[in-house]
Amino acid sequence: MQFAKDSFYMTLLQRLVALNPQRTVTLNGTTRPAIIVAENELVVPIVPLADAFYIEWGAVEAVARQTGRRMILAMECVISYHTFGTVESGVDRGRTLASLDMELLSICQPFWTPKQDYSQAPSVDLGTRIWWTAPSLGKVSGSEAARNEGLPRGSEGVRLERSANLKVFFFPEEDLQ
Amino acid sequence: MSTSPLRAAMVPVTRRIRGYFAPIDRVSGTPTLFDPGKYGIFSLDEPPAPWIDLGWIDNFQRFCGTATEPVRAGVRGAPQAQFRGALDVRLEFDFREWGKLQMALAGGSEHMNVLASDINANPQPSGGTPIFAAAVLPGSTASEIVLGVGAVDGFSAGDIVAVDADYQQQTGYVGSGIAAAYVSDPADVNRDVNYIRRVTFNLGRVAQKTVTSLVLAQPLLGGAPLSQAGVQKVIAFVDREGGTFFQEWSALFVAEDEAGGRVCFHYPRLSPTTTLQASVPLNQVSAGSSKVFQREEEVEIAKPIMAVALHAAFQAMPHIDENDGQTVVCYRSYFPAAAAALY
Repeated sequence: MQFAKDSFYMTLLQRLVALNPQRTVTLNGTTRPAIIVAENELVVPIVPLADAFYIEWGAVEAVARQTGRRMILAMECVISYHTFGTVESGVDRGRTLASLDMELLSICQPFWTPKQDYSQAPSVDLGTRIWWTAPSLGKVSGSEAARNEGLPRGSEGVRLERSANLKVFFFPEEDLQ
Repeated sequence: MSTSPLRAAMVPVTRRIRGYFAPIDRVSGTPTLFDPGKYGIFSLDEPPAPWIDLGWIDNFQRFCGTATEPVRAGVRGAPQAQFRGALDVRLEFDFREWGKLQMALAGGSEHMNVLASDINANPQPSGGTPIFAAAVLPGSTASEIVLGVGAVDGFSAGDIVAVDADYQQQTGYVGSGIAAAYVSDPADVNRDVNYIRRVTFNLGRVAQKTVTSLVLAQPLLGGAPLSQAGVQKVIAFVDREGGTFFQEWSALFVAEDEAGGRVCFHYPRLSPTTTLQASVPLNQVSAGSSKVFQREEEVEIAKPIMAVALHAAFQAMPHIDENDGQTVVCYRSYFPAAAAALY
């Protein structure tokens, strides 16, 4: 399962670097592509960084009627991101969020990648692919607006955020038997 | 509704069926027989030789079209005896896993290995003029093909290879160990020295290389290669609609025994068919059409993602049971669960 998680993350990271090399964040003193797997980071109470994609993994289940020698597993994935815009007034926060939306949709295509073992360098191809559904972009929600004075979605707030949901499918491991 | 309690140990419980096939000696017509007394409840992951595990299958259905006819007599025409009419037994299922043998059985005719082509070859849908074969050297086994220093350089780990003899203008069944095709006239196959490797079941994936040999991930089905055999790289598999050859294999299907009792279905001789049985349920017929045979089935993973399954259908062919000389087409065997009542 970890191979599938790592392969998904590394694929999106490499695609993001190719698509928009300027989309970086500085985390723990290191500047890196702005795609982060929350469970791989230090356990410290920290506010998520703006203009970065955060990957979180959810429930896993076997896909019905897909029981070969190795069952196909489906793993829920949530990718969340938020922005304050690029200017102090925040007037471009909607446009910035739209850019993040389009970047996410772009780096998710094609919807598959080889499953690699990234625990060794160079990584090793495990012989199968992982694949995933197209991301479903959830509602935009805002925050940090004055209470009781906001729009229904709060998008007048300075912070705009969105979560995208998808499912990643994979065989648990290689099978040549 | 009955409220009588079932005796649990007498209820076979399963959620899936596993398929095993074994070759038939096509020259003598001798099938591979499954002897329940000899093989017992074997591990499903380790079938007895020469049975080949083709994985879990889906939508397994056995159709019996063999009618029983009464012999009537007397004023009232009452049945006095019965006899069985023409044997007509079929089965259908979906292979959930694709492989050389699964495709060959579902397709039913010659199954082609697409050999790596010479770059200047004319295009052919089942593969054009291939790159020359590398000669197999003595000392090769079913799992390790010795080619010699230098000759192994033409292959890489991960390659699929066909290992079989050169075609030498013979007629009859061809393919080492397993009949893969029938040649009536050498001219039909253009006297192609590569023809046997185009159809052979002796395939392997190169797991690793040594200085002189290819080590295969799975052993060749036909065993150690013959002397004068050659090796060629296989790029893909092709089956074709048409063709005159009929695959014929022995088959064994096992219902996974989750509650202890195991049910097996053994067909000594199965031949692929595309003729639909009259008893095929209407809900399995394409909407708005007459009954048609569907080559593939789609199994939803999450819309619009589908797994593609190979749909296969077979006509059961007759076999003489040596114990009593009866002509039969299939056997259903049952291994009762431990301590289960017998009736």
